[in-house]
Amino acid sequence: MKVWTGGKQGKQRWRRRSNTTPRSLLVCERSSFCDENNRVSSQVEQLHFNYKVSVLLSDCSSAPSHLESLLTSFSHFYLVRNLPLHELLDKQFLETAVYQGNVYGLSYRTRLDEDNCVALMPNGHLVLSLDKDSFQVLGFEGKTSTFNYKTKNRYVVTVDLTDGSMAPGRQAYLRLLTGLTSRLPLQMDFLLSHHPGGGASLQALLSRYIWSEHKPEVGTCSLTHLPCPDLQSCDPHGLLEWLGAVDANISRDNSSSSFLSSLVCPEPKRTVSRALRISICGLLLPHDVQRLIQELRCYLGQCQPESWVSLTVHGFVDSPVSWGGKEHGVLRGGENFYTLFIFHDHTYHLHLAAGAQDTCPP
Amino acid sequence: MSSGWRWRDLPSGVKFCGRKFSRKKSGTAMVRVKARYLLCELNVSDRTQLLLLDDRAVLAAVKTAVARIHGDYGAALCSMRFSIKYLNAHTGIVFLRFLRRAYKLLWSALPFITSIDARGHKIPCFLNCLHVGGTIRTCQKFLVRYNTQQLHRMLPKCRNEEEKQEVRKAILNCSLTKGNNEEFHIESESEEDEEAQS
Amino acid sequence: MRRDEEKGEAAVFQRVVLKNASPYHYMKVCLVLEDESTKLSAVELKQFIITGLKTLYGEVGAALNFDLLKYDEDTFTAVLRVYSKWLVKLWSSLTLNGFYQNQACAFRVLQVSPFLLALSGNSRELQLD
Repeated sequence: MKVWTGGKQGKQRWRRRSNTTPRSLLVCERSSFCDENNRVSSQVEQLHFNYKVSVLLSDCSSAPSHLESLLTSFSHFYLVRNLPLHELLDKQFLETAVYQGNVYGLSYRTRLDEDNCVALMPNGHLVLSLDKDSFQVLGFEGKTSTFNYKTKNRYVVTVDLTDGSMAPGRQAYLRLLTGLTSRLPLQMDFLLSHHPGGGASLQALLSRYIWSEHKPEVGTCSLTHLPCPDLQSCDPHGLLEWLGAVDANISRDNSSSSFLSSLVCPEPKRTVSRALRISICGLLLPHDVQRLIQELRCYLGQCQPESWVSLTVHGFVDSPVSWGGKEHGVLRGGENFYTLFIFHDHTYHLHLAAGAQDTCPP
Repeated sequence: MSSGWRWRDLPSGVKFCGRKFSRKKSGTAMVRVKARYLLCELNVSDRTQLLLLDDRAVLAAVKTAVARIHGDYGAALCSMRFSIKYLNAHTGIVFLRFLRRAYKLLWSALPFITSIDARGHKIPCFLNCLHVGGTIRTCQKFLVRYNTQQLHRMLPKCRNEEEKQEVRKAILNCSLTKGNNEEFHIESESEEDEEAQS
Repeated sequence: MRRDEEKGEAAVFQRVVLKNASPYHYMKVCLVLEDESTKLSAVELKQFIITGLKTLYGEVGAALNFDLLKYDEDTFTAVLRVYSKWLVKLWSSLTLNGFYQNQACAFRVLQVSPFLLALSGNSRELQLD
């Protein structure tokens, strides 16, 4: 029998929670790139593991050449098959890659709500999100997951590999190493990327295992006669719904009384005669997104005053961290993404969305 | 208790009747299963048909209505602790007991009852909810008050002194000889008379 | 110069945090049928879901509003939109839908999100082979 210490209110809250929808968060910001206090670049920088970037250019039928070349120059990433995790603690790997910074690593095809997940962040932090059994077998210091603090069946181990106590040969280092080699020999497919050095610094590690190099996939699609709401006045959820419908190719020419769907474009609307949708998939680095934003701003400068650009960046659902190394969980969706609308006069609207198990975006 | 304490360590005069024991007696969190009682009146066009009703007929009617309006989910909720606590076939007063968690949902299906099948007859009727209470006692209190109110409303309508006397006499008679429940019966019949005359 | 000033006025920093404000939830579901050669149109699918709602939640459930935004007839994959308040009801009735025209079937809920955008960027769909 469950004992309620939270009193009557707590019980009611529990009851309400048990049959209602999970929490969601949406942060909306409006500012200008001209404002020196704008935080876009830091916000972009803080979402480390990006899965998909989709760009919508209004009044544009084919991508400008410099934009296209930028898209093809996105950093490549590597998929390593069955990588034993203790390889990440390899002395040579630490020296050539991790200490230099900007190594991005993420376990591939592991589900955060059921499997063990690992992320290697560019600042040298290694984050392991483990289930209870694995955590206890590993025998290394960790915390219970913020989102499972009652059931205590998921634990997060965060290790700063650049810290002095984790230098090869030190006690903590050895404990983690023996934990990962003998007690809990975790093996998983791993996505790796290194920003400035490319593959050179990772070669030593890659050569020992089966690996493949991947290029982010670029897809373009041109749209015509796109009904478009008024971006300045539309409410954020309606706007994101509209953008999602454009992204997923959902027809919007329903009447509000049709049987199948009553999804319509929010009023007031206008029709954009042509638009271009570009999407890139893979392990994308914040640095590349940063460059893309700069490029889009340059592109807007040459456009008509009423045109705009939207950029949506989806984070990995199964990454154990979201913005700025904060813990991330999958309750039902695990979504963490942001959408940036850039206008001709350098103002922008930024919408940051997080699912049920996420802290508030920065 | 754990540190080697034994019964014989107690001074001779001490009777052990601490809280711990009394708590144990009351068991581990024995909480009353809470319910909601709905006090409804059955409105029929022909009052003689009321006498055909029995609680099984009303129960079946409520269950079918709930199953139609709220589907399997509602039917399942309706099978938990649902019962007809009291049915007065003379006055058409019904007490329904619902699970407190679900009473709002089940209540919402009551207006959809348009007829009750009883003993081969289909009685067109509707349920009018008068009161919602947590215990039968409060519902009964309310019913007594409600009936008194009705009586007070109707007495002035009597056209002559004889009628009034008749009503009073009837009430006094039944309350002395037959018991409480019949009071409603007589009263509501007089109510019917009033309606018929006016 | 004047333009710059105007920009300065327009560029007031504004931040709003909306919690649980999403009016809708979006579900990506996939219907798995025993006989895979069965044809099922979008209208039939919606009718099927409504029938399921009606058996579980009765006439009140059948009156529940939801939209079938997108449907792929080859893979039986659909995107549904439902008011956040009704998500639990719709989901539970999908789960309990067991038979389509006397053949066993099941709904697989692939993704649920309060944002339609999130459905087009699901990293679990990343295929690298």
